[in-house]
Amino acid sequence: MTNVKSKAPEKTNSSSIQRRLIPTYIFLIIVSFISVFPLYWMITAATNNTVDVARGKIVFGNYAATNFKNLIAQQNLAQGMGNSFLYAGVETLAALLICSLAGYGFELYHDKAKDKLFAVLLLAMMIPQVATMIPLFKIMSHAKLLNTVWAFVLPAISTPFLIMMFRQNSRNFPVDIIEAARIDGCSEIGIFFKMYMPVQRATYAAAAVITFMNAWNAYMWPKVVMNKTSAQTMPMLIANLAAGYKVDYGVLMMGVLFCSIPTMIVFFVLQKQFAEGITGAVK
Amino acid sequence: MRKKLVSILLATVTTVSLAACGSSTASTTASSTAGDSTATATSDASAAASESTDTAAATAATTAVNVDTANEGDDTLSVYAWDANFNIPALKDAEKDYQDNVDPNFKLNIIQASQSSDVENAITLAASAGDYSTLPDIVLFQDHYFHKYVTDYPDAFQSVDDAGVDWTDFGAEKLSYSTVDNKHYGFPVDNGTVIMAYRVDLLKQAGYTIDDMKGISWDDFIKIGQEVYAKTGKYLLSMDGDGNDLVYMMLQAEGVSQFKDNTTPYISDNKTLVEVVNKIVEMQQKNVLYLANDWSEYTDQTIMGDMVAGVMNGNWIIPTIEQVKDNSGKWEITTMPTLEGNGKEGYASNGGSSLYITANCKKADLAKKFLAYTFGGSTVTYDGALKDGGVITTCISAGKSDAYQAGVAYFNNQPIYSQIVAMGANVPVIQQSDYHYDCRTQIAAAIQNIIGGADATSALKDAEDQLNMDMGN
Amino acid sequence: MKAKKMSVTAKQRRAGWIYLTPATLLIAIMSFYPMVQALFTSFKTGSSAHMRWADPIFNNYIRMFRDKLFIRSLGNTFLYLIVEVPIMLILAILLAQLLNNKDLKFKGFFRTCVFLPCATSLVSYSLIFKSLFATNGLINLILVKLGIFESNYNFLGTPSSARAIIIIALIWRWTGYNMVFYLAGLQNIEYSVYEAAKIDGANGWKTFWKITVPLLKPTIVMTMIMSINGTLQLFDESVNLTSGGPANTTITMSHYIYNNSFGKGVANFGYASALSFLVFMMVAVLSAINMKAGDKRD
Repeated sequence: MTNVKSKAPEKTNSSSIQRRLIPTYIFLIIVSFISVFPLYWMITAATNNTVDVARGKIVFGNYAATNFKNLIAQQNLAQGMGNSFLYAGVETLAALLICSLAGYGFELYHDKAKDKLFAVLLLAMMIPQVATMIPLFKIMSHAKLLNTVWAFVLPAISTPFLIMMFRQNSRNFPVDIIEAARIDGCSEIGIFFKMYMPVQRATYAAAAVITFMNAWNAYMWPKVVMNKTSAQTMPMLIANLAAGYKVDYGVLMMGVLFCSIPTMIVFFVLQKQFAEGITGAVK
Repeated sequence: MRKKLVSILLATVTTVSLAACGSSTASTTASSTAGDSTATATSDASAAASESTDTAAATAATTAVNVDTANEGDDTLSVYAWDANFNIPALKDAEKDYQDNVDPNFKLNIIQASQSSDVENAITLAASAGDYSTLPDIVLFQDHYFHKYVTDYPDAFQSVDDAGVDWTDFGAEKLSYSTVDNKHYGFPVDNGTVIMAYRVDLLKQAGYTIDDMKGISWDDFIKIGQEVYAKTGKYLLSMDGDGNDLVYMMLQAEGVSQFKDNTTPYISDNKTLVEVVNKIVEMQQKNVLYLANDWSEYTDQTIMGDMVAGVMNGNWIIPTIEQVKDNSGKWEITTMPTLEGNGKEGYASNGGSSLYITANCKKADLAKKFLAYTFGGSTVTYDGALKDGGVITTCISAGKSDAYQAGVAYFNNQPIYSQIVAMGANVPVIQQSDYHYDCRTQIAAAIQNIIGGADATSALKDAEDQLNMDMGN
Repeated sequence: MKAKKMSVTAKQRRAGWIYLTPATLLIAIMSFYPMVQALFTSFKTGSSAHMRWADPIFNNYIRMFRDKLFIRSLGNTFLYLIVEVPIMLILAILLAQLLNNKDLKFKGFFRTCVFLPCATSLVSYSLIFKSLFATNGLINLILVKLGIFESNYNFLGTPSSARAIIIIALIWRWTGYNMVFYLAGLQNIEYSVYEAAKIDGANGWKTFWKITVPLLKPTIVMTMIMSINGTLQLFDESVNLTSGGPANTTITMSHYIYNNSFGKGVANFGYASALSFLVFMMVAVLSAINMKAGDKRD
């Protein structure tokens, strides 16, 4: 554990510290390379034709324009992106609001009954998705919600994991301030919106990253409830490209690239807050 | 550290709260907007899209559904299909054919599923909710599953006996899938007739011609395959080892089934099957056959990756072969080898689907008229399907059109399409079962185990036991 | 905390309950109600349109123990759990420890790189792994060139190596995700603790075991519960990387359940529900053990 040692407050000059860190750098570079290589491959594959992709070519080709043209000719890319943004956006907003309210309620208003309820809700985390799919489909079908945004988002809005995360993060929320605000005449709900929300910015960011990624990449459930072309999401669109007797891998990877960009952007934009939000959760 | 953090928090929060609670009356409206803005601020990228669409979401989504089926005009039919390069172009050609020659207002709303099982699942799920209204008017359905679905969900499909189609114009083997209790349900789309395609240039290097491959036995095939592998390093055959269709195809060429009747497997005491399995294992061990790990390795690595000198499968494999432009003119097709050989040619059929009208179709007359006109025998539809999707018909008269007689450059100008239609007429009808794919999986597993060193008799017995278990026997 | 409890008025308590209501209702309707439905279904048999009570009533549960394929899927799932989870979590702690060094440069860059795999779309990731480990793939090429292998090896076509690839893929995808949690946990540990240890003459290894691990315990418990939960419900890798093959030797429980309800056109909802109940029980028991063993704070 070289790094632990190097933390010692010795008056060593920085170049010797960096020298001692060389093995660490090498290790991290190898790990980073392994982590990023598949993404690099995804991007190069989107610029190659199908035969080259199947043969594992790993340098850039000049089929990007052709692949893109074929992609929009075969699939309604704009609609797929639009749907995915809509569903993932609604799911993220709803989940953030509902789970943070619950996490806040569980921690700051906690009593024996609420703690018991929380333990019961945690059980839901252990329910396998395959088990609930068929009964959930029946609910959605009877409620005439198939192919609507609600069928997509409702089962995923309230998750024990997010509630737990908000609950943990609420532990460092100063109780005295709530009292002060109450004395000032602030309503209970006002405290939540005006004081809790701004302070928990980082937690919201972390929750948003996790929820958005899950919603964007969801595949099994949407396939069950969204069976109209106009309701298709990006992962379903990609699955369409990957199916069939012959698959054009260049076009497929172009689709995969489009599907990957939004989650990457969300992560890059929010990564600092993401780390902070998680920090509170594991305290 | 922690204390410090708390004090900073305290400081910021008190300032915020002072500002916020200045006028406590404006609590609900003001606070909800404040809440929204924080939420959007934190979720940045997602907010960009959802903020504006959030309120529009409900309306947009609900109207979206209606566009698909409910708001359809009287001249529109919806159909579920799954392959953008194969059966969907065929459906588009049929739509155009009907528009041009019957009803210019006609419209076909094609809903793309990502795989055939999506269609099966849609029916299973609709049935479980007791509500077929979520189904489209017409579904494309895999042939091997249809009997099972009609048995399990008798209310899900409509009979098309009164559609006015001359059924004698279709291959009997194909119709056997879509006919239940002598009632016709489906309109055949494609043709699963098996082709045995060879790279003639590679055969030549080993000293053989395409004619040498006609009517040979599997033992001859193995002998030639070993020479080809020694000379060129290419396998003479490949298959997806996970969904191994070789057993079914080789058995059908012998006129033998894996089932005694719909629900009784015929495996461990089936001498022909045991022999076929032994041949497959021998081929694999002698580098004549390459068993891929899954479907995509089969198509991408073995066929498109140029690992093989021969391909044997349903003729829908042709577009995959044609992906490798460099090999144009080097391929030719012929019939399958058989166990007996000595001039006996093998015929089989693998895969394929038909179009069915669902119980939800309220315009059944239109659907029947449309399907009978197009897939019931229109040369315009079938020529277009051949050209745009490589879909070959089982309709005997439509297979006689000029488009079918033309030579195909990729296959050294052989008129492969008319050859395939002719071969299709010779495919023997064998006992089918609802558990076709289940059986395929179990026997494929047995073959993998035998190759891995298991005893053939006990491996096949295990497969039969597991299959019986799946079938609830 | 106690002070707060005493000052809680009835009005506030009601407000507290109101906050919990939407989340609780949604979980009740979207998770618990379907699970109860599934429990009933698990005693039934027949096609999805005409389900009837099984005879004997526990038939679906009895059937499991005769089902060799299910028992194999159970074995596979536990193999993945026992091998993958410890390797992944140890690697994640190690990476977090390395990145939690104030002298290290490009920290953000490394952290982003290591995290990225879990943001990758499943389709591309499975395609890539399949292509890398294909018989003619890059890994074979390298191993043969280096003289480690004599000829190309069919990784995904051999049961043991196919299982190993599933494990490698899981480690690749989820190590970075877990690392973020540990990194966050480490940042909560005060620097002065390490200084004190240093003065006491503890070496790096000792510091790690005596200080880092105990202080990270809550995080470790949390990530372990998440990983156990995720691995027991493992589905994507089995479906996309190996499709359960060769010869069903790599199939997981969730994949087998899926095959029984949607996979083969033979929808057997009753049996599938019974199997999922077993999975639910196992996850619940393992998580409970984990929580009891790890979390002694309360």
